Amino acid sequence: MKFVLEHLSKSFEKKKVLRDLNFTFEAGKIYGLLGRNGAGKTTLFNCLNRDLKADKGKFYIEAENGVRREVVAADMGYVLSVPTVPEFLTGREFLKFFMDINEMSVKNPKSIDEYFDDMSIEPEDRDKLLKDYSHGMKNKMQMLINIIAQPCILLLDEPLTSLDVVVAEEMKQLLRSLKPDRIIIFSTHILDLALDLCDEIVLLNHGELEVVEKTDLDSREFKDKILAALREDGNE
Amino acid sequence: MNKTLQISFSLKNTYRVNGILFSLKQIPFLKRLLPVTLYKVKGLKSFANVLSVLWEIVSAFLGKYLYFVTMVSGIGSLFKELPQTTVFLHILLLLTVVGSFANTHLFNPTKDKYYAMILMRMDAREYTLVNYCFSMLKVVVGSLPFTILFGRNRGVPWWFCLLLPFCIAGLKLFAAAVTLWDYEQRGFGYNENKLSKYMWGGIALLLAVAYVPPAFGLAVPEIVSMLLFLVCIPLGAIGLIKVLTFRDYYAINKELLAGLTHQTDSTTLTQLAKQVNEKKISTDTSITSDRKGFEYLNELFIKRHQKILWNATKRISYVCAFLVAAVLAGIYLLPEAKSAVNKIVLTWLPYFAFIMYALNRGTNFTQALFMNCDHSLLTYSFYKQPSFILRLFQIRLREIMKINAVPALVIGVGLALILLATGGTDNPLNYVVLIVSILCMSLFFSIHYLTIYYLFQPYNAGTELKSGTYQIVLTITYAVCFALMQLRMPIMIFGVMTIGFCVLYSIAASILVYRLAPKTFRLRS
Repeated sequence: MKFVLEHLSKSFEKKKVLRDLNFTFEAGKIYGLLGRNGAGKTTLFNCLNRDLKADKGKFYIEAENGVRREVVAADMGYVLSVPTVPEFLTGREFLKFFMDINEMSVKNPKSIDEYFDDMSIEPEDRDKLLKDYSHGMKNKMQMLINIIAQPCILLLDEPLTSLDVVVAEEMKQLLRSLKPDRIIIFSTHILDLALDLCDEIVLLNHGELEVVEKTDLDSREFKDKILAALREDGNE
Repeated sequence: MNKTLQISFSLKNTYRVNGILFSLKQIPFLKRLLPVTLYKVKGLKSFANVLSVLWEIVSAFLGKYLYFVTMVSGIGSLFKELPQTTVFLHILLLLTVVGSFANTHLFNPTKDKYYAMILMRMDAREYTLVNYCFSMLKVVVGSLPFTILFGRNRGVPWWFCLLLPFCIAGLKLFAAAVTLWDYEQRGFGYNENKLSKYMWGGIALLLAVAYVPPAFGLAVPEIVSMLLFLVCIPLGAIGLIKVLTFRDYYAINKELLAGLTHQTDSTTLTQLAKQVNEKKISTDTSITSDRKGFEYLNELFIKRHQKILWNATKRISYVCAFLVAAVLAGIYLLPEAKSAVNKIVLTWLPYFAFIMYALNRGTNFTQALFMNCDHSLLTYSFYKQPSFILRLFQIRLREIMKINAVPALVIGVGLALILLATGGTDNPLNYVVLIVSILCMSLFFSIHYLTIYYLFQPYNAGTELKSGTYQIVLTITYAVCFALMQLRMPIMIFGVMTIGFCVLYSIAASILVYRLAPKTFRLRS
């Protein structure tokens, strides 16, 4: 499966954030999306998640046999850096609501407690209102909802930045386990995290996407290459 | 010193101008015409500077003019039993006392002070003193023409008219000095926008002394008023010394302006709004639901927001029922009022459009919906599937209709009862139209608020209100309801028109929501 972006453009007033962007993401990989502040990472995600209408261009899913189809809401999971959960529900209620309305689309559903166990959310927290959840727990909840439906594309906007080390490590393991048959696009400002977790490093530069080839560089040289590419952008 | 004044002025201008430009950019259509570089256009800034200086001059005089023409001279002219001079001085004296602590300038937390002293770290003492002296100068210069104009008109001697502005400023200075002393003694910062209940009591008492005794022919004798005013001048001199020698202006301003820190930063402000909304969620753990899917979500939402939805609507209904009972009792006790009340009920139906507007819970409902529910769920793609959006719209419409219908029913039936008790009407259909049209109004507002919420979804992920169109629609709604208040029409005509309008509007709104909401019901960016 491939996720193909063609001629994607988006401007805010006169500022061109995405310029005729073309890229093909492949299943089974985690892509690390790097870019300077204001480079348009969140704009790109918002366009892909259809929160924002792109000015031009299209994106679609191409199956192994070459058949193209449109991306529907169920294909896409989007995890924000600031976790948002419906504060008036308990964790269990949120999960039940989600399972209720996605009965048809969730394959091999597990019980609610099994899902909580998977995310290591403690039994005593499961029936608390989400407004009283800690940041890390909200984040887990958000991640859980996004992966139950098993979307084939998962967008993550700096999801590990404000988590404690233990939760962050759990999340990393989780992402690695989700990798097969799925495209994960992970935006971050932390270079080491990107290098540790991602299979490909993609830069968002001048409103375009480009892969930084690792070829036979060691990690030190690779890092320098990424930094150089990003600096170049800043000098313009 | 000149420089400080100049900087404070240009600072104030800059934020005023940017504020105006920012609000212009919120208006749809206009925002496309205005360039991004709007804020750096020099001409606009100079023009604004000219306006600002003009405003500074006009406001100095205009405010004082209005003050003298209404509060002092205007009300004073009602008291005919006393000599005009006595009344004039009596009222002015007491109002001056109120103003000395309720309108200090020194203890008024304003944004320009916050920007200058806290954010830009200007020298607090110099900034405060320069601006304070300038404002005292404005008091003297601004009052002078009117103490002369109105004072002479009321027979106050020339020399005293000339001295009055200095007396007013003097008392202000003295009050400021006392507050500064108090701060040194007790470390208690004074804020003229956050008066204690004792202060409010004091103001009420002084206002009562200013306006009530003259109605009974009592006032401070002219000579005593004059003496008291004259004492204010030496008091002012003492105050001035204290103000000039006081050192701790930074600390005093830091405390005064602490509340503003949040208000200038929109993220903190929206976070505060979010917290306020989260507090509305009931923590009662016994609340559960046996339903499924969206009905489950909705039931939990309604139950956990009982306080702002059903409890509020119940309270409103009780009050309405009580008012109806009071009117009925009134008619019983005063039968001669019957025909007048009957006429009112028969022709004042348009008035109730505004009342229903004021009573409807639509804005509270949609706000809570967004802040506590949609704000988060809209970030999940499953929630944005068109069929789900429409399903939930139907459920929510049903809920808000129920909530709004209760007071509407109470009012409708109440009015019908009043109509019956005051002699009834020739056409019995009037009763039906009365009840149905009031119910229709409540349905209209339910549909209206939910529809514009779904069509404009005005908030962004940070819960900031981003849509100018949404605000314009709200304003128009208000204006139309307000205008209807002026209208007098027989029940039959207005009622039937209302019912017709509501039916048409509901159809149009449903079509629009079904067509557009799946696209428009998104988080703004």
